[in-house]
Amino acid sequence: MDPDAVAKAFVDHYYSTFDANRAGLGNLYQEGSMLTFEGQKIQGSQSIVAKLTSLPFQQCKHNITTVDCQPSGAGGMLVFVSGTLQLAGEQHALKFSQMFHLMPTPQGSFYVLNDIFRLNYT
Amino acid sequence: MEEQIDLVGKAFTDHYYHLFDNDRQALSSLYRPSSMLTFEGQKILGVEDITAKLTSFPFDQCQHVISTIDLQPSTFAGGIVVFVSGSLQLPREEHHLRFIQMFHLVPVLEGNFFVHNDIFRLNYE
Repeated sequence: MDPDAVAKAFVDHYYSTFDANRAGLGNLYQEGSMLTFEGQKIQGSQSIVAKLTSLPFQQCKHNITTVDCQPSGAGGMLVFVSGTLQLAGEQHALKFSQMFHLMPTPQGSFYVLNDIFRLNYT
Repeated sequence: MEEQIDLVGKAFTDHYYHLFDNDRQALSSLYRPSSMLTFEGQKILGVEDITAKLTSFPFDQCQHVISTIDLQPSTFAGGIVVFVSGSLQLPREEHHLRFIQMFHLVPVLEGNFFVHNDIFRLNYE
């Protein structure tokens, strides 16, 4: 399957899950997964989902501007995303950038091994 | 272990931008034939073409000012993913450009790395 198409499908799935039901992100991470969220380092699916579901807003909407991807070697894929994040009740959207390092699962899908998120302040 | 990654990753990043800002031709030492660069959406493969691209920009000098560096082990045989944000000052330009960049560093010999993956995007207002 075309890597760009795989990356785009993953990005669509990740952010639509994030925007609809953050707890549902749990099956995209595993025990060895790492998230760095605005400089804070979190390890493992449970802690990562706990962090994401604890963010202080109920609803949000990601709008993706750019998606770049490259094979990382050993079947992995690096995905580099930029876009905006609209929080419910906030007038201005926040700009963000995020990178994922996806690794294949035996079932033929991907999980997130590395995840780094940064807001982009102007 | 984590401190090691932080030290190595930051040292590499400093070295990368120092070369970029002072001697872009020398960046060729940091890439290999298997390296990949995506520069503002344009995909470039291999040290030769990557070096050609980086040395073709219409300026001699520039200055990267780094705001944030995040690092994680990539578990690809000792690899490191590096996520950088900052600004780029070009000569004679009044305003800085903001950018984001990620590297995937892969070890060569003990303690030495090359850039296996490189993705660069300008961050427009």
